[in-house]
Amino acid sequence: MDVTRANKAEEPDTPDPKAVEAIGRALAAHYAALVQAPVPDKFAELLARLEAELLTRLEIEERERDLAPQRRRDALG
Amino acid sequence: MPSASFKDDLLAEIKNLRAFAISLSGSVTLADDLVQESLLRAWSNSEKFQPGTSLRAWLFTILRNIYYSNYRKRAREVQDSDGFYARRLTVPGDQESHLDLEDFRQAMTMLPPEQREVLTLIGASGLSYEEAATICEVGIGTIKSRLSRARSKLVELLALEGGSDTPVERKIRRAG
Repeated sequence: MDVTRANKAEEPDTPDPKAVEAIGRALAAHYAALVQAPVPDKFAELLARLEAELLTRLEIEERERDLAPQRRRDALG
Repeated sequence: MPSASFKDDLLAEIKNLRAFAISLSGSVTLADDLVQESLLRAWSNSEKFQPGTSLRAWLFTILRNIYYSNYRKRAREVQDSDGFYARRLTVPGDQESHLDLEDFRQAMTMLPPEQREVLTLIGASGLSYEEAATICEVGIGTIKSRLSRARSKLVELLALEGGSDTPVERKIRRAG
């Protein structure tokens, strides 16, 4: 197998730097448009819900911890 | 358990995460599903995130894994019926620059996914070669090779090579 030829086939020639520059600018503009697009509220709502669920769970756990000594005393009579 | 600032940190990354998802899947609808699933997974696995490392890279890794596991086939089915993102998103600028972006977007969709994602990660999202290599689970040499091929293919598709003066070239130059 002609390795040189195989490598040449796999690796494209280096394009014109000015063309690469133009691609870079177009890519930046393309991506900036995507990043700047309005984001649906549902993502912020989802995170708020997850945080609220976490806080509720922590509160319950804390209450259970606070009540545990009293429950032990009650169980012992 | 997520830290006190974790929610705010996630919120700050949503725009970039969604942009990456749209670039990867070619569909706003799928991208929104991907972002939602990624946020849920990030939240429930928050202890696996190492403070001091890039949250963006970690989130991109999660989203990419979900995409290739569950969405890639669906993406091929949905892309054409989605009205496509460039037409659904407001593109700042005049009519001329909008056409430029439309040409560019079309050329992007013709790249193989592995080249498109590397171009997006490094050329647009500002991640390093190392971060892109970690996200894509390949070596840095492969990332560089894919990036080079992606650029060459775009140059070819947009007829930017050899001093040609095609309408596409003129539009791209004006967009810059």
